[in-house]
Parts: sequence; structure tokens; C-alpha cells
Amino acid sequence: MKSRYVVTGVAVVALLSACGVIRGDDEGSKGGAVATGVTNEPCPKAIDKKKGCIYLGTVSDLTQGPFAALAVPITDAQKAFWKRVNTAGGIGGKYEVDVESYVRDNKYNPETHRQVYNEIKDKVLGLAQTLGSPTTAAIIDDLKANSVVAAPASWTSAWEFEDVIIETGSNYCIEAMNSVDYAMEAYKPKTVMAVHLAGDYGADAAAGAKIAAEKNGLEFTAVETPSGATEQGRAITEITKNKPDLVILTTGPADAAAIIGQSAAAGYKGRFIGTGPTWNPALLKSPAAPALKALYEQSSPGKPYGADTPGHRAMRDALPGVTPNDGYTSGWAWSYPLKAALEKMVAGGDVSRKGLLAAVKTLATVDYEGMLPPEAGNFAGDANAATFRQTLINKVDESAPTGVTEVKDFFTGPTAQAHTMDGPCFSKLS
Amino acid sequence: MTDVVESVIRGLGNGSVYALLALGFVIIYKATRVISFAQPSLMLAGAVAVSYLAEVTGFYLAVLLAGLLIAGVALVIERVAIRPMVGRPFFVVAIITLGVDVVVRVVVNAFIGRDVRQMGDPWGFTQVSFGPFVVQTRWLAMLLVTAVLVGLLFAFFRYTRYGLAMRAAAFDQETALAQGVSVGMVFALSWGLAGFLAAIAGMFVGTGQGVEQLTWIIALKALPAIIVGGLDSLGGAVVGGLAIGVVESLFQSYQGQLAPWLGQNFAVVTPYVVMLVVLLIRPYGLWGTKEVERV
Repeated sequence: MKSRYVVTGVAVVALLSACGVIRGDDEGSKGGAVATGVTNEPCPKAIDKKKGCIYLGTVSDLTQGPFAALAVPITDAQKAFWKRVNTAGGIGGKYEVDVESYVRDNKYNPETHRQVYNEIKDKVLGLAQTLGSPTTAAIIDDLKANSVVAAPASWTSAWEFEDVIIETGSNYCIEAMNSVDYAMEAYKPKTVMAVHLAGDYGADAAAGAKIAAEKNGLEFTAVETPSGATEQGRAITEITKNKPDLVILTTGPADAAAIIGQSAAAGYKGRFIGTGPTWNPALLKSPAAPALKALYEQSSPGKPYGADTPGHRAMRDALPGVTPNDGYTSGWAWSYPLKAALEKMVAGGDVSRKGLLAAVKTLATVDYEGMLPPEAGNFAGDANAATFRQTLINKVDESAPTGVTEVKDFFTGPTAQAHTMDGPCFSKLS
Repeated sequence: MTDVVESVIRGLGNGSVYALLALGFVIIYKATRVISFAQPSLMLAGAVAVSYLAEVTGFYLAVLLAGLLIAGVALVIERVAIRPMVGRPFFVVAIITLGVDVVVRVVVNAFIGRDVRQMGDPWGFTQVSFGPFVVQTRWLAMLLVTAVLVGLLFAFFRYTRYGLAMRAAAFDQETALAQGVSVGMVFALSWGLAGFLAAIAGMFVGTGQGVEQLTWIIALKALPAIIVGGLDSLGGAVVGGLAIGVVESLFQSYQGQLAPWLGQNFAVVTPYVVMLVVLLIRPYGLWGTKEVERV
């Protein structure tokens, strides 16, 4: 008897569902929905309950992936950024922004990234953060098909060619070009070795280093290395055997410390310049610290946590009591273009995904409150014209909040200046 | 030539760590016929325990205390999660150890946090010279400590009552039980020993570069070591671990110039290639006991 009731019940539910009587939580189900991810209802944590709500999703590496040490501060900084925007009157005086309802963990796994993105994609207007290059590549087709604007937490040159990706700061390829050009001035190297992870993080920087080395007439070699501090034996052997004058590093921080510490212990005396993610202040406590102080500099797409700009000050004020980390700096700076685009969208009247994408395409400058030059927020021109080409060089400084201070302010090297961005760099490394 | 010797010593150093972990696998396997996949988490827990204790007690005492602490954790795991499963299929118990591994790692990760934790070891990246050969001190420490531990372990099995009990139980559980050997005690002792060895291995993995949440992956290299040496051979585990370390190190140093067509990072897969080759030639490992199955 019982099973008959169950079967009948399921059949009724299925029938009603098929006829559209029972609907899931999709667009239009919420009272006062304006568009996908936008409601006239206030945000769950609204400051002003008279304003509507724009929901932005976050897909980040929040627990066990290799970039969790950066991703958690990035996500926290973005929550603080949008809280500050909401407190200051929201977007166009009509909407507040919610970045806390749809936060998902990608575990730095492209498949998981796609899965959790699918869970939230019908509930958000865009993405406040999509962390990682290979992970974001797993959803890029869907982002484009549905005009979902997303702020990436990665700096691969592939994003220069995607309208829906609203990146901030120079890509790894440009960063490495500038590093080689900086070294040409400071150290006059004759040989350059790029030690890099595989994929569009490491290979992107290695490709930039190769382009700059060729332009400067330097001998260039690339050594691809696996992730993991104990797996760096081959990279260390290649460095100590070939003794390049300059090593451009694109790895994680623990890998970088193993490579630099052990190469220096084995007598290597050349210079290392590592991309932004090679640094972590915790390395100052490692046995590699003396070598890092002596031989290492960090290239960076933005000024460090302790910098004195209005944007940096606002960030520090909004995040009282946190342990300084440049994940906060990146997360905060990445949010400015999205804020500018949302304001333009609301001012233009077309509050929708297509309206947001149209607004992005008209942005030629963005006010970063001094954290980056306004032209870093150019999304209007073609990829070559819009690519931002300025980076900085930092050195290890124990007294600084995140262990690094600036040695060279935003600059564009001659290689990056002359380079034509006609495709993602990493595809050209061979 | 000096390069080769230095590479071999680096390989022996790393191989010692694989050997310690492999010994843990084999001790548990011999006692219980179960491959414990919880070893990586115990290794990680050991390293993290050292990193905390060293701040209070100094490094050497911290290593001893961490070893005992993790042995205690292993005993608790055995009592709570493994002992109730006695008599169940070995496969089921092995899957339980996978679950235990995940649980322990989640707890340990909370203690690691998001940054790299340092061991506070005295070696760092310092080097010592022996004539023309220059090697890192920590490789030598790994080799030396492993040699001492292996010596003690073999003496324990050969000369003590408990060692004899463990050997008897490994040989035939029911007969050992009939002779008055407490098989439960043997199970517990095997887990305790494996936990202690895993903690020491974890400490060595963390020397120089520190320990982070993903460090546990290194423990997986002990699996090829036990397959190479033979699942139930203690000597095989030691030789297998050292062999895997040396092969890996030599590939890191020379594969790029001698066999570049293999790609840039073939060294990463060499432990598994060696394992496959050994499996093809000797399916029970170099020193493993051939199983006879009646059909």
C-alpha cells in the first residue's frame, strides 16, 4: 500500500513540476527580481533596506588548495570592500552589493570550480572573484555564453582577450618582461633562466622572460618544475650547474624558498626575481631567509599592503586586526573595476548581465584610489591597446607589514612597451 | 663524478624518509594484513607536532615527544577505528584507514593554518664537505637517524619478547593466539610503531622547507617503496625506500641531459615506473613472500 502512495505522490510532483507549477529558485522566483542576480528586495545584510540588491558570486580556493593562503584574504578583503561601498551609499543610490551569499570553494580543481559555479550561476549577476587560471578556463565558455562578467584572481595574459573577464594589473607575461628589463639596468645579466610551473601561470611568465631575453640579446633557458618544495631537486641542479646570471621564478612560495635557499647554499650567487605569488611573509622564518634577503626580489602587479595611498589606507581601515597579507591588497584592488562597471550599468538603466557587459566595454579608466594608475582599468580598446604594462619591483624588508617594500615604482620596460599582444603568451613558449 | 655522489647522497637522504614510512606500512601489514592509508596523515601530524613543540622544548626533545605523541594517536586510531573491524574483509579495513587519513588531515590542517610551518631544526640548508664532495647536513642526518632506527627495530623484532610475539602473529595469527600471544597487543604495537616512524619521517620532510597542508602527498612515494621491496618484508621496505630515493634523485640530475625526450619532469613519476617494472618482473616485490592460493 505504502509504496503505491509514494509512487502516486512522486508522479503528482513530477507532473506539476513539468507543467511549471512548482519552480526552483531561478530567475523570477524571488519577489521583485530585476534581472538574474538582481532584486528590488534588500540584501540579506542590507545597510539601507530601501535599496535593491545585486548578488555577486565568489569561487575561490578557500580550504585545501595550494593558494588558500592568498585566497582567503582575497575573499575577506572583497567582503570588506563591498561593505564599504554599501555603507557609502551603494551603487548609484539604488542597489547594495552582496558578495557573501554565494561563496563557493573550488579547492583549486577545475572540475570542482565548474561544478560550484553551476550551483550559483543562476543566482548571481556576475562574479566578484573567480580564482585561478586553469579553474577559470573551465567556466570561460559559459561566462561568455551568458555574458557573466567576472573579476579574476589571477593574472594570465589570456584574460586580455576575454571581454567578460575584468582583470586588474599587468599579466604575468608583461610582469616577467619588465623584470628582465629591470635586471638589465640593475644587474646587467648575460644569461636568463625561467624556472616555472607548468600551465598558464608559470608558462605565461616564462614566455614573457623569453621575449625580453631575446629582445635584450640574452641567452635564455626555461626549466619547467613540478609544484612541491621537495620536488625542486632538478630545478636546483639546473641553476647550480648552469649558473645563469638571472633566474625568473614563477612557482609557489614554498617552492621558491626551497629553490633559492638550496641554490644559494650550493654556492649560486646570481639574482632571483619572482612573480607576485612566489612571496609569502612566512618565508622570513624559513632557513631560506638569508638567501632571500641577499638574492631575491619580487615583481608585483601592485603596491604592497603597507603602501601609502588612499586605497591602501581605506583597505587597512576596513580590515582592522588582520595579519598583513598581500592577498588583501589584491582582492581589494581587483574590486574597483567591477564597482565602476556596476555604477555605469545602473546609471545607464540596463540593469542586467548584458547591461553590465556593455558598461565594462566602455570603461577606459578606473579610479583605484591611487592603488594603481587609472589606465590599469582600460577595458574599452582592443587587447593590445588595453593591456596594462606597468609593474613594480619589491625587495625583502623584515620591517614591512608583508615583508617586502618597493624598490622601483610602477614602470614599463622597453620590451613590454614594444610588445604586441596578439595572443596569450603562454601558448608561444616552446 | 662528484655530482653523481652528491646526487646519490641526496637520494639516500630522501630515500631514508620513504624507508621510514614504508617500514610503517609493512609493520602494520605484517601484523594485520591491512595496508594502512592513514600513514600520510600521521606523517603530517608528526611534522606539525614537532613544529609546535620545538618552540617550547627545543628541537631534539620535540622530536622525541612528537614521536611518542603520534604513536599515541595511532594507538587510539587502532583501538577506536580498526580493532572493532577485526574479522572483517581486509579491503573494508583499508578503506576505513583512508577515511581516518582524511579526518586526521582535516584536524592537522587546522593547526598548520595557511602558511608554511618551520621545524626549527638545526640543519637548515647547511652543507658539509668530505674532500671534493659537498652535501647538505640534513641528508646525512636523515640517513644516520634512519640507520639507527632500523637497527633498533630489527633488534626489537629479533631479541625482545614483544618482537617475537609480533613475528609469531605475523606468521600465523591463530597459532600465535593458541600459544598465548595477545594478538590485540600486537595490532596496537604495530600501529604505535608505525605512528612513531611516520612522525620522524614527517619531521625530516619538514627540515629546510617546512611543512604545509599539501606536504602529505610525499608519503605516497612510500607505496612504490613497499611494492618494490615486498609488502611483508621489513628489509625490503628499507632497500625499496632508499632505491626509490636514489633513482628519483639521479633522474632529477641527469635525465634532462641524457634523455631529454622523456620530458622535463620525468623524475616525478620515476618511483611509479620503478614500481611497475618490479611488478612485471617480480609481482610480490624483490623480497616479498610469494602467496600460494589453493583453488
